[in-house]
Order: sequence, then structure tokens, then C-alpha cells
Amino acid sequence: MDLILLLLDDMFWAAIPAVGFAMVFNVPQKMLVYCAVGGAIGHGFRTLTMQFGLPIEWASLVATTLIGFIGLYWSRKHLIPRPVFTVAAAIPMIPGSYAFATMLGLVEMNAGGFTYHLFQTVIENGLKTLFILLALSFGLAIPSILIYRGRPIV
Amino acid sequence: MSYQRCLTKQQQTEITRIAIKAGQLLQQHGAESRLIEQTTVRLGTALGAQSIELAVSADALVLTSLFEGRCITTTRKVYDRGINMQMVCDVLRICVMAEKQLLSATEVNRKLDKLQPMKYNRWLVVFMIGLSCASFSHLFGGDWLVFGVTFVASAAAMFVRQELAHRHHNPFINFAITAFIATLISSLGVIYQIGNRPDLAMAACVLLLVPGFPLINAVSDMVKGHINMGIARWTAATLLTFSVAAGIFAAMGLMNIAGGAA
Repeated sequence: MDLILLLLDDMFWAAIPAVGFAMVFNVPQKMLVYCAVGGAIGHGFRTLTMQFGLPIEWASLVATTLIGFIGLYWSRKHLIPRPVFTVAAAIPMIPGSYAFATMLGLVEMNAGGFTYHLFQTVIENGLKTLFILLALSFGLAIPSILIYRGRPIV
Repeated sequence: MSYQRCLTKQQQTEITRIAIKAGQLLQQHGAESRLIEQTTVRLGTALGAQSIELAVSADALVLTSLFEGRCITTTRKVYDRGINMQMVCDVLRICVMAEKQLLSATEVNRKLDKLQPMKYNRWLVVFMIGLSCASFSHLFGGDWLVFGVTFVASAAAMFVRQELAHRHHNPFINFAITAFIATLISSLGVIYQIGNRPDLAMAACVLLLVPGFPLINAVSDMVKGHINMGIARWTAATLLTFSVAAGIFAAMGLMNIAGGAA
């Protein structure tokens, strides 16, 4: 029961940034609802798989692959290129707080000198940022490199 | 309707220009390289060319059309006009219609010329981006006070970003100033200890500046074989992140905040 509540909370608060960023990318109005659903499913699925002990990078890969396949279905249904839904849906999973911690660590190291503790913060958060980002974008590309292999989707 | 087995030189020139115009529109509005390549090739062949070869690079497109051993090549400069998915959708729709032979070359040309980028109401975007970054602070584990601080900081930042973009300022300058403003406002939360984790507001309010689209396009270009485009996009996104970092540090130095990384 707790898990369901956690997931619902998670999905609701992930849907909002998906729509917000979709508006910055000027996604057509009719498609905004798909961005919201995609963002909610993606982030919710990532939280769910992480509850079962999957590391965040692999959970991101699985979640964006799922979004990629759902996007494939929508894209063929509405004759709309896939990035229109999928990128906005992946935005809530962007590792912003890890990137922020990495940059802060770098600056503190510059200002206050090298310590192993700071170095550890920078390396750990930096690697997380990099691998999550790679997983996110690779996951979105999976349907077209695995199934469509060079043929146009719409 | 206009499927010609025989093209005059003039017609072939016309088709070449139409195909590259579609490609230019796609690249200017943030489509990935694979989509640009596929769409120009499909449009050109649908209008009667035997084959279309496109070279994509970061700031220009080169397109050659072939018909019966005759080549016509043309180059267009590509200026970044901001990500606009509605334009990408419309160009693709025109391409699909041309492919089904519903449009002649002249009609495709006229339709492409008539496309106008749609923009959402700016105050709605300011509100939604404020709400989005505030949602991030909630997802990171902040309480309602942190939510409020993040909302104000990122909505103000989005307003500044729109104003600067409207005046055609360089995106790097724009992102640095926007990050500066966002951090300045949210650091007040740290100084007055508003909410359970005021440092989360500082992390969340700059997330409106994460160049998500270029980063995702970069990797998808690289895995689909457009390595040079991928590197160009990745570099642009990294530079944008650095200017965001510069803005954050300037604000933190000014407000004399150590930050919560360690």
C-alpha cells in the first residue's frame, strides 16, 4: 500500500515537469497530455524498479526504453516524430541534483583546496550524472536502433 | 499527382531547393540528424528525384539531388531558432502528404513557406516552469516551503530567460545570467533557513537550464552514426552547462554561501 502511494505521488509530480518542459519545446497542444502520461509512466517505472533494488542507471535505461516503445506506438498512431513525446517524458529523470553536487564540489575544491572527501563527492556524483544521462538517451534510441534499423518510423 | 518520370533541369533545381528547405527548417528547430536526413530524402524522392544525398553539419546543410546522371548541389546555412516541436511535426506531415502524392512540388513549397512557429503564452510558460522546478524540489524530498522558494526563484529566472532570448542575446550569456538570478533568489532561502532542506531549492531552481534536448539528441545522433553532429551537440550542451555553473558560482560568491556539496 505504501508502495502504491509512493508511486502515485512520484508519478503526479513527474508529470508536471514533463508538461512544463514540453511547453518550452513548443510541443503541439494536443500532444501535451501524452508528454504528461509518458513522464509519469517513465519516472514511476524507474522508482518502481529502484524499489526492487535496480541501480539508478539501469533503472533509467529500462524506464526510457519503456517510454521509447510507448512513444513508438503513439508516433505511428498520430504521425508525429517520436522525440516530440519521448524527450519531454525523459526530462523528469535528468540527473540535475547529481550534476549540481558535482559542480559545487569542483568549485569548493578550487576555493578551499583539495581534500579526498571533496574529490570523492565530485567523482561519485559526476559518474552518476554521466551514466544516467547516457542511459536516458540510449534508452530512448533503442526502438529505432533495434527494430526499425534505419527505416523511417512515420 | 505530380509524379514525373522526367525532370527538366529547372524542375530538379526546384525540388532540390524544396528538400533542403525542409531540412533547414527541421535542423533550425531542433530535430535529430537521422530525422533530417530521412525527411529530406523522402521528400526529394517523393517529388521525383532519383536520389538525394544530404551532408549534415553543425551549422550548414549540403544537399545533392540526382536525376539521370545529373547532379544539383546546394548549401544552406543553419541558424538556431530555438527548439520547436510543432514545426518539426508540421514539416514531417507535409513530407508524408507529398509521399502519398497529395501535394505537387509548388504546393509543398508554398506550405513550407507558410509555416509559422507556434509559441505558448509566455506567462503560462513562466508559471509552468516555476511549477516544474518546484515539483523537482518535491521529488528530491523538500517540504512545501522549499517548494514555494523554488517556484518563485525559477519562475523569475524563466522570465529573465525569455526576456534575454527575445532580445537575441547569446545563449551562453543568457544561461549564465538566468542561473545567477535563480541562485540569488533561492539562496535567500538558505540564509533565512526556509523549509527543511533549503539547499534543495538551490539545486532545483536551476534545473530549467539543463540542456536536455541537445544532450539527448547528441547521444541519439552518435548511436545512429552521425558522430560529428553528436559531438557538436554534446559540446554545445557542455558549454551551456558551464555557463550555468558560472552564474551559480557568481551568485553564491555574492551571497557568501558555501553550498551543500560536502
